[in-house]
Order: sequence, then structure tokens, then C-alpha cells
Amino acid sequence: MYLQRLQLFNFKNHSQRSLEFCDGINTLTGANGVGKTNILDAVHYLANAKSYFNGIDSQIIEHDKTFFTVKGQFEGELPAEILIQFEGGKKTIKKNDKAYPRLLDHIGMIQTVFITPYDIDLVLGNSEDRRRFVDLSLCQIDKAYLQNLSTYKKALEQRNALLKTMQGRYIDPDLLSSYDAKLIPAGILIHQRRKEFIEHILTFFTTVYQNLSSGSETPSIQYDSPLNNGDFATLLADTHRIDMAAQRTSVGIHKDDLIFGLGEFPLKKYGSQGQIKSFIIALKLAQYNYFQAVTKNHPILLLDDIFEKIDEERAQRLIDMVGASGYGQILITDTHSSRVETHFQPIDANKLHHHL
Amino acid sequence: MQFTSGIVEQAVEALSSFPGIGKRTALRLVMYLLKRPEMEVAHLADALLKLKTELHLCEVCGNVSDHKRCHVCVNPNRSEEVICVVEDFSDLMAIESTAQFKGKYHVLGGLISPMDGVGPDDLNIASLLGRLENSLVGEVMMALSATVEGDTTMFYLAKKLKPMGVTITCIARGIAVGGEIEYADEVTLGRSIAQRTEYLL
Ligand SMILES: Nc1ncnc2c1ncn2[C@@H]1O[C@H](COP(=O)(O)OP(=O)(O)O)[C@@H](O)[C@H]1O
Ligand SMILES: [Mg+2]
Ligand SMILES: [Zn+2]
Repeated sequence: MYLQRLQLFNFKNHSQRSLEFCDGINTLTGANGVGKTNILDAVHYLANAKSYFNGIDSQIIEHDKTFFTVKGQFEGELPAEILIQFEGGKKTIKKNDKAYPRLLDHIGMIQTVFITPYDIDLVLGNSEDRRRFVDLSLCQIDKAYLQNLSTYKKALEQRNALLKTMQGRYIDPDLLSSYDAKLIPAGILIHQRRKEFIEHILTFFTTVYQNLSSGSETPSIQYDSPLNNGDFATLLADTHRIDMAAQRTSVGIHKDDLIFGLGEFPLKKYGSQGQIKSFIIALKLAQYNYFQAVTKNHPILLLDDIFEKIDEERAQRLIDMVGASGYGQILITDTHSSRVETHFQPIDANKLHHHL
Repeated sequence: MQFTSGIVEQAVEALSSFPGIGKRTALRLVMYLLKRPEMEVAHLADALLKLKTELHLCEVCGNVSDHKRCHVCVNPNRSEEVICVVEDFSDLMAIESTAQFKGKYHVLGGLISPMDGVGPDDLNIASLLGRLENSLVGEVMMALSATVEGDTTMFYLAKKLKPMGVTITCIARGIAVGGEIEYADEVTLGRSIAQRTEYLL
């Protein structure tokens, strides 16, 4: 499946924009601020029903407008037109003019892997950024995961609201455990899938990292979760009193984290800029490889400013690695037309260039 | 919107406070009402006012009623043995229109939702437990939405009902009639399989 045409209305700075893409390498060039990253984000939006950067849909609407739409024509075995509209606080998704009953029914049709300079937060940011990476990897290929994650988030939100309104006072254990009853099965499934995901990508990830970096150090990813230390139901029951006092839920998969290391050292503290960049690209390519293994298809690869921000040599190696199994669809942005041209000249694949 | 009449403005403001009605629609409604005979408008105003002045909530089950007790509660042909718990009276109406249920009801008046400031004490839960004491009720059937709020409310109710020795059931959740299995979500399909029933010829 590849995106053949993208149409935007009032999507961030794009009042109206229509672009055609080929099943191969698509380059988008233009000055800073013309909206290249926003176009990649629109493609991510088509797949995931949300922005990669901003979870607040009303802020995606172009300033002073009341709605936005993103439309994508996909070609491949099952051609489909996807239309996402956001207006008046309400989001609708249509596939071939027919609205999905629930938004999450759409997710999983298309997989995207996004590499942007902002991904530095994966290493330097907080645990939420790392959980987001894992969730984005699993939600795009696993409906049960997506559904359980949504149930978990809702139940957690309600449970925390309850703890907060009671302001530390005693709460009927029957009421508190009614939320536990929702959190437990969802949390256990999510924990299991996250664990499998990390185990699954580890070997490939390590190979890619070592290919990208000249050093010989071994990178590591450790899945850290309160659920590693015992049965979730027991953990929750044991922390009722602590939760009442703290006015929030203290154990669960919402506390999960990934611990990145190089050799024996934590990446965040000791990694050089270059090592951190290699680590992030390796993570993303592992995600790409994971989607490919599960769906037997190429995901759409969105490469934002990689030559500028990642450095040309590493970016070139990244492209070579992606192409190892043949090129799927790639959308790549740069400020310099000549630079991208040089890099793609030797590659034998469909190519299309847009200058914005 | 620039009003030239304070009376029109007041009516538009009042109507636009309804869910799903914006100022533009409210103005259309006002223009419509202005064209109707006075009697008809008086009738409308009266009907609305009665919702507040004459409508009762049934003292037994919490259903809306013109009298102290609703027509289901006073109907001698309805079984005393099963109580169906619903979120609000519109759900009760939906179940009534299936003509499949012969017992009585209990209307909670909402679902537990701390985010919206609704706790168990804000709902008709104590009166449900009260109804079960020294009664013929052998089964409480819960018919609540398949949402996080519906599920947690059911769990909480079940915890409170269990010591009273009644059978607690919840309505089956499955594939919609006319729905194709291929399009059913995994959770619904999984539950339908787990709760499959004997096929009766
Ligand atoms: N909701 C919005 N409405 C209008 N413009 C927006 C909105 N969100 C972002 N922008 C604008 O989009 C521009 C950035 O686009 P971006 O895709 O990052 O450009 P590029 O990647 O080409 O440098 C900025 O000028 C920013 O102000
Ligand atoms: Mg950019
Ligand atoms: Zn009644």
C-alpha cells in the first residue's frame, strides 16, 4: 500500500494543498517554514488519526479556520480513500466515503515510521516519550493492544479523578477495585505485548546500531515496569492506601519506561551526540523492520530533515539500510534540493520531487 | 449576532443553551415560533414547564412518571422476581420496546464517573439495595452501557448486591443483528465466543 495523493484543507499552515506521490522515493524541498514537516505529519495523521507532534486536534486547524481535513488516496492491493475531518471538537474518519463507527477501527490499515529531529526527546525526554514510541509501534499493528490501551487510559483517568476528589479521605474499597477490575486485564496484556516487542526488536536494533556507529560498544534496551515485579492485581490491592494518600494511581503500566544504555553506561548521561542519534535511528529502523515482519509490507517512511540534522553520512547509511529489502514508499524533506538529489542519484527506485 | 430586539435575543440565548443547538439554529427556531399561532406556542411552553412542575420520579424505581409510582411499578402483571438496572429512563424505554422483559426496573440516574463528579451517592443505589430487603427479588439484571463507566458501575453494584444473596446477571454483548463477523471488533467477537449459547432448533 502506498499513498498516491494527499489533499489538505486548513491543516496547520496548508490552507489548501494537493500532492501526488510515487511508490518509491519522494523528496519535498523548500525553505524553512514552508510546511514540509507538516506534510509528513499529515501522512502520519492519516495512519494514526493523530498528529505526531501535537495531541490537541484543535491546534492542528489553521489559525482562524474552523475545521481541517486530510484526505489520502492509497494504492496497492486494496486501494482506498481515507478522509479525516475535524470540526467542532469532533473527528470523523471515512474509508471510501463510509464513516467508521469508531476511530480506532481505522488504525492499523497503514503503518508509518517517522524520523524527525524532535525524536531526540526519546532519549533526553521523560518516560512518557518512550512509552509513546512503544505504543506507536504496537497500536499500528495490534488492535487488541490499541483497544486495551484505550480502556486502560480511560479507567486510569477515572480512578485518578476519584482519588483526587476524595483528597486523601478513605475510599470504599469496592469502588476503588471497580477500576482495578478494568485496569488489571488491560494492564497485563499491555505489559506482555510491550515485553515481547522489546525482545523482538533487540537483535535487529543492535545490528543496526553497530552498523551506524563506528564504536564497538553494545547498546541495550531494558524494559522497566512495575509489573515486572509481581502480579498486577496484588500490586494494585497493596497500594490502595498509598494511592489514597498520594491521590493518584502509583502502580501500573503508565509507569513503564525504557532504559537505554551503551555498554554499562546510561545513554542519556554518557552518550555523545552522535551515539544518541545512532541509537534513535536504530530504534526507528527496528520499528520499520518490526512492521515489515508483522504485515509483510513496507511501512511508509517519513524522513524529516535527516541530512541537515542527523549528518549526511549517517543519513546515507540509514537510506542504504532501508533499501536493503527493496524500497517501499519514502517521503523525505530537505531545505536543499541539490543535497537530496546527490544522495538519491545512485538509487534505482521510483522518484518524485516536489519543491514547495 | 447583532440583535435589534431584547426579547428575540433572550429567546435565542435560551434555545442555544440546548445541546447541539447553536445560535444560528436557535434563531431559525425563534423565527419559526413567531409564525405559529399563540395557542401553539403556549402549549409548548406549558409542556416544557410541566416537565419541572408535574413530572415525578417514581418513588420505587426512579423512572419518570406522572404519578408517585410509575406504570411499571403499579402493573400487577409484572414479575416481582427480576429487577433490571438501567442508567436512565431512555434506556428503560428502549428495553420496554423490545417487549422481552417482564420484570421491574431500577433507574440509576447516571453512571459512576468521578471525572464528571458522579459518585455512588449521587445515584439511586441505596434505594436499589433497600428494595431487595425482605423482597421476592431473586435476580438483578444489569443493562448498562459497554463503556468503562458502565463496566465499573456494574462491578461496584455487583459487589454491593452479592451479600444480599440475589443472582446477578448482565445482558449479553455480541454481534449486532445484521452485522458481519468480519467487521466486529475483537473484544466483542471474543466475548461473543466466550458467552456462546446453545443453538436451539
Ligand atoms: N495551526 C496552524 N495554523 C497555521 N500555521 C501553523 C499551524 N501550526 C503550525 N503552523 C506553521 O507551520 C509552519 C512550520 O511548518 P513546518 O512544516 O515546520 O515547516 P518546514 O518543515 O518546511 O520548515 C510555521 O510557520 C508554523 O507557524
Ligand atoms: Mg521541518
Ligand atoms: Zn417505578
